[in-house]
Amino acid sequence: MKINMIPLIKREIKLSISNLGLVISYSSFFLLSLLIFTFGVGPDIKQLNTVYIPIIWIIMLFAIILISDNFLLSDFQDGSLKELQYLGYSEESIILSKTIVMYLILIIPHFFLIPVFSIFYDISFNNLVQLSLDIVVGMPSLILISLIASLLTIQIKRNKVLQFIIIMPFYVPIIIFTTSNNESILYSSFDLNKILILIGFFLITLPITLLIGKLILNEINK
Amino acid sequence: MMFKFANPNKFVKISELLFPYFNILFLISFIYGLYLSFFNSPPDYLQGETVRIMYIHVPCAWFSLMLYSSIAICSFFSLVFRHTLADIAIRAIAPLGASFTIATLITGSIWGKPTWGTWWVWDARLTSELVLLFLYVGIISLSNAFEQKSKGDKYAAILSLVGIVNLPIIKWSVDWWNTLHQPASISKFSSPSIDTIMLVPLFVMTLSFLFLSLNIIIIRIKSEIIQRKIDILNSSKIN
Repeated sequence: MKINMIPLIKREIKLSISNLGLVISYSSFFLLSLLIFTFGVGPDIKQLNTVYIPIIWIIMLFAIILISDNFLLSDFQDGSLKELQYLGYSEESIILSKTIVMYLILIIPHFFLIPVFSIFYDISFNNLVQLSLDIVVGMPSLILISLIASLLTIQIKRNKVLQFIIIMPFYVPIIIFTTSNNESILYSSFDLNKILILIGFFLITLPITLLIGKLILNEINK
Repeated sequence: MMFKFANPNKFVKISELLFPYFNILFLISFIYGLYLSFFNSPPDYLQGETVRIMYIHVPCAWFSLMLYSSIAICSFFSLVFRHTLADIAIRAIAPLGASFTIATLITGSIWGKPTWGTWWVWDARLTSELVLLFLYVGIISLSNAFEQKSKGDKYAAILSLVGIVNLPIIKWSVDWWNTLHQPASISKFSSPSIDTIMLVPLFVMTLSFLFLSLNIIIIRIKSEIIQRKIDILNSSKIN
């Protein structure tokens, strides 16, 4: 069983670079959702400033669920997933390499999107740093959970709604903890506990996703 | 020993033997439980007569969690030992568990209005129970989403194993967070705890719910076994 992930990561990066439309779609979805939320909440900047954290996390969550299929579905449809397994790569390394590349690809647009977001919602510099750190640390957990949903529904046609139904409950704890820092917004203080909790979530979701991913990939190839 | 009884044909034979007894036990415990709940237990000094909703609400909540745990155990047996009866049991139990969860939410709402003054609060216990309902919905949808039943069974088993992380959150949510929902008070060792005069009808009602659940699960498993036999016959006809 090959555990060298470098070729896998290289392959995934090459595929993602050849499909840069994905990043553009992700960024467009992000900005358009911001617009919709702003229309929904109202243009009052003070009000928007108090609800920006849930808004950004909800948008990210939906965007990641919608985009996660692109990292798996095409590989499943053209047989690459099977091929990688026959080549001797462990299921865990396939899932992990996809997670790493998905993270790298999706985190890049945030370097541009979050500053734009902070202007729209009048976010202070300290809160912006906190938000950016939260996203950097919290995003892997969102990606890992979305990969479980994609793997579970990969063989079902018209699976989008089902994907949302089965995976939403698992996002609840992460959303609770990522959006629960009203005090630090008020006082613009840095919340280390939240970062630690998000790291904790990552350490829980990582082995679960790898284990579940292995089980599902084995099931798919039966 | 366990696998000997887990054979579908053997299960049908044993369940046919037990089914009438479970039915009788359900009827007796349900009627007796209702009598105790309405005529032999006092109204609460604060909540008045509305406290009687507890005799339905609490067993429903217990069974919503217990049935999910049994689904998770079946999932483990399905994935590790690849046992068909475990797959069938997951399909049979999930809708029942979802029904108990819905009943818990509805009765809780009815109880909440006179007690808390609102039908719903985004309290940790209530929210986690709602999340449990969505987990059940996910399992039911996923198991029925595949053309091949066996695939749906396996994927539903995987999903239910992942979902087990929600059970401790529901169970201890009232202890971990400062919530409107009261902490558990059934245990006689904890303080404050429920009075025996209310505890007895609660346990009798729980017993009746247990026999009701067993009856429904037996019926559903038997019908699923028959359905699978019909499917096999149909597919052999086509071939």
